Amino acid sequence: MEEPRTPAPRRTKAAVAPSRSRDVHTYDFSAGPTNAEVQARQQRTVIHYPCKYVPVELLRGFGATLVPVDFEAESFEDADRLAHPNLCGYGKSLIAYALKPEVRCLVLTSCCDVMRRAYDVLAAQGCLDFLWLVDLPHLLGPAEDARFREELERLADAWAAFSGEAFDVGRAIAAFSPKVPRSDERVTLLGAHGPKSLLTATEEAFEVPVENLTCTGGRFVASPPPDLGRAPQRACHLECDASAPETSARERFLDWYAPALLHQMPCLRMADVRARETQVGTPGQTGIVYHTMKFCDYYGFEYLQLAAESPVPVLKVETDGTAQSAGQLRTRLKAFDETLAGNVETHLFKRGKRADNEAETDVEKAVYVLGVDSGSTSTDAVILDADGQRVASAIVPTGSKATESARKAIDTVLGDAGLEREDITLAVATGYGREGIPDMDTSITEITCHARGAHELAPEVRTIIDIGGQDSKVIVLDDAGNVANFVMNDKCAAGTGRFLEMMARTLEMPLDQFCAAGLQWKKDVKISSMCTVFAESEVVSLVADDTPVADIIHGLDNSVASKIKSLAKRVKATGPYLMTGGVANNEGVVTALGEALGADVATHEDSQLCGALGAALLGLESLR
Amino acid sequence: MARTVKCDDEKLGIKILDTWAEAIDNVMEERPDITAFWLLKAFQVKRAQTVVLPDRKTLPSARLASRLALESVTDALEHPDDVVLTSIFLPNELFQAMGLYPLMAEALANFVTGAHAEPSFVQAAEQNGVPETYCSFHKVLLGGAFAGVIEPVRFIANCSVACDANNISFKLLARRFGCPHVYVDVPPEYSEESCSYVAGQLEALGTQLQEAYGRALDPDLLVEHVARSQRTLKNLVRTLPLRPTRFIKNGMGLEMQHALAFHALLGTEDVEHLSKLMLRDYREADGYDGLNLLWSATAPFFSSPLQRVLDSNTSQQIVASDMCFDQVSFEPWAHEPDEPYLAMAERLIKNAYNGGAERRAEQLRRVAERCDADGCVVFCHWGCKETMGASQIIRQTLEAEGRPVLVLDGDGCNRANFPDGQAATRLEAFLEMLEAERAEKPDNDEEVA
Repeated sequence: MEEPRTPAPRRTKAAVAPSRSRDVHTYDFSAGPTNAEVQARQQRTVIHYPCKYVPVELLRGFGATLVPVDFEAESFEDADRLAHPNLCGYGKSLIAYALKPEVRCLVLTSCCDVMRRAYDVLAAQGCLDFLWLVDLPHLLGPAEDARFREELERLADAWAAFSGEAFDVGRAIAAFSPKVPRSDERVTLLGAHGPKSLLTATEEAFEVPVENLTCTGGRFVASPPPDLGRAPQRACHLECDASAPETSARERFLDWYAPALLHQMPCLRMADVRARETQVGTPGQTGIVYHTMKFCDYYGFEYLQLAAESPVPVLKVETDGTAQSAGQLRTRLKAFDETLAGNVETHLFKRGKRADNEAETDVEKAVYVLGVDSGSTSTDAVILDADGQRVASAIVPTGSKATESARKAIDTVLGDAGLEREDITLAVATGYGREGIPDMDTSITEITCHARGAHELAPEVRTIIDIGGQDSKVIVLDDAGNVANFVMNDKCAAGTGRFLEMMARTLEMPLDQFCAAGLQWKKDVKISSMCTVFAESEVVSLVADDTPVADIIHGLDNSVASKIKSLAKRVKATGPYLMTGGVANNEGVVTALGEALGADVATHEDSQLCGALGAALLGLESLR
Repeated sequence: MARTVKCDDEKLGIKILDTWAEAIDNVMEERPDITAFWLLKAFQVKRAQTVVLPDRKTLPSARLASRLALESVTDALEHPDDVVLTSIFLPNELFQAMGLYPLMAEALANFVTGAHAEPSFVQAAEQNGVPETYCSFHKVLLGGAFAGVIEPVRFIANCSVACDANNISFKLLARRFGCPHVYVDVPPEYSEESCSYVAGQLEALGTQLQEAYGRALDPDLLVEHVARSQRTLKNLVRTLPLRPTRFIKNGMGLEMQHALAFHALLGTEDVEHLSKLMLRDYREADGYDGLNLLWSATAPFFSSPLQRVLDSNTSQQIVASDMCFDQVSFEPWAHEPDEPYLAMAERLIKNAYNGGAERRAEQLRRVAERCDADGCVVFCHWGCKETMGASQIIRQTLEAEGRPVLVLDGDGCNRANFPDGQAATRLEAFLEMLEAERAEKPDNDEEVA
């Protein structure tokens, strides 16, 4: 039985009507409106909307202000309570947004399961003055055009009754913004609704502009024909009743507008989505960031096709619609930007402090390059000389303060090398904490650095499997050691070092003992769940069944291997494989991975230094 | 209430099935044809068991439902040239009247899970990029197709009811198989206009089927099937008041099998016979005064801890589920069988799983009222956002009538997403609460007195 529910706060002016729209409320202005009343009145002319199929131009024809919903809720408490936690983040943000007191009018479409249920939940709450669901056909044809026109007409009638405003075709026509096809050099953001944090992170990560063509971003309705706004002929007036001029303008507008709105670039919920292929490989498009959202069914499937057929590089990023995974996003996006640039050295240091002055002018001074990898578990540092020979290296645990750990790693490696900070020609940071390391000249993502470092350690390697504490990555290299493709785990901890740590905690074992015990397995035990929470539940059940701990750990190792195999398949990884990251020290996982991939997975004694080494090497190469 | 007791025989049975499933897992990637062969053999053995060695602990009607549900899959797999791949909500009378075999994705996935083979299918889907949060029924379907276990079909037809997955999986498979695909778009609200719109699509589907399979549709036969459908659903409604005081020896698996039979084979003589048999069985069944639980959505029929609590238990029984009553109407139909396309369209638009959450909740309320349910379990199947989003509205609707609701999260198809122990604890606690509430009711005290 779930916890008892407390009713949602219900606004005093909200009408609770089971119909599609709310009743119209009247205000007593005889004593003059108060500020609050004026504000409330203004809010009642603002329509919020999430979907590109909402008839924005029609509603502007009534003088309404239309505001797209790009709200990113920090808490899903209300949505979880009123609906369910396993809805997409955008749907839950929408519910949270609609519960804000200043949001009075909301128009949705039946575009997906979550939007339909968001409507149901909000209708049941009765928290809005005007709430409307436009039923959106899945098919495109004359019958659907007619159905959609009727839907728009119903909405127009309801809004006219609610707002008391008449439709003005001129206002509606003025609301159109003509579509201008872009041909400038740019990256396209495609896929599920792009939350603000993703848009910001994308714009910051790329050297070129970003074009937003996500579910809620790419709204382009054809421009109306010039004669649509023309006043009807006088003769026509005489034959009609008193309301004829206005009605006929609206009807003529709807006749044209309904198909125009319905036939814009289809979103994935439409039955025929072939037109979407024209969004890929357009002039000037250098790459595509493809966004999928947890619990949004549609967009993962388009990515499947896109990844196989796109003529431009594609990066998939998955979010839960919140800003919480921004750190991981930045790494992926920046790495993709580096991949798109193709030649890291040419643009890498243009923002560095020292690259343009000291490093290039002080030719007499001996060259030392420092690479620092600030990871979630350890912070690693490497110093190389001008010949690329390793002068010193250090690995220190990343404590609670990444900056302090970086300082400690740098001090250690400088001490071991017998150098001072001033002796370093160039310092390159990488890893999660790369932006926080003080006094570095530049930073490169750990994906590019791992690739370069691994190529140095084992030039024959074509795929790096990096399983760290926070995330896991599969990086595919070309013959020259450049990143050809890569994939990272989602926000979920499955298939990461954290997953194994949590399972070790469940079994009440220290991690090193946990790793060693897994090698003593006798019988295959299947942990079928990839989800950490469910897997923990399975482990508890197995313990209750007296299953030997070694067998359980072996099952967990296999579970991690299975998750990594899925990632590897996604980027068509091939051997030889090299495993890096902290989990490379877990022999059980390495063996399981080899079995899952059907190939040997090598490790290297310096694999933990891979990122720092790659950073130093890339730095050194940039000086040459 | 029956306590949970571990049974060695049961564990052995599960172990054998798991070993068999592991063998499937090992061979699936390299030899999907062998996997398909083994699966069909397993289904055929099970089908033979439903005829030769039926489960004597269940009522005759339940045995028939089991056989019919299984036959809906085996018959289709045995006649690959006459198969139409479809979903559970699209009316099947057209296919039946043309002698075609509708293979419902949900039925196939259910029996793959019954054979303990779903992990390999789910894994194949996820390794090919299907999102982890996608509905497991559809993951099994797609995984089977990606792995080559499910062979290309000649025709795919489905509808927009009840969820987005229907709008994705079939489209993707049609592209992969290179076969014709008809998608019936169903508006949320019933009106004569929307009914004509859907009827037109169904009629067009009939035309395309005739072209694709090179056979004619006998209009009289279609009318006959639609008439049988209406009679069958009427019988089903008549079973409701009989259920609460009779021990119907139901269970999660049986309820799902009933649901499959009433969708895949609705309109056939077999299913009309099933509905009559249910009426007879329920009238003649032993008396029962335990708890009556209404179930909403799919059920984790594979879960041993839940089976011990719910299946054939004299203390509590699943009295009905909305998966069996989604198509029924408690009012007369607007369209008679002599307008077969309009009649099928009406049923489809009015389906409890179509449209808003309010309608779904209202249908449950009416079913609960007629079968005097003590409480309801709303099962939020992994990835089923339609049910998840409606769960609290259903809860409010039923609790307003004094019927407590348990919202139970899990997966009706993939064991890996189902936390057995936790779910059983929650369910048992809910049943204990219902028992306590029942004991406090004054009319119950009078009876005891």
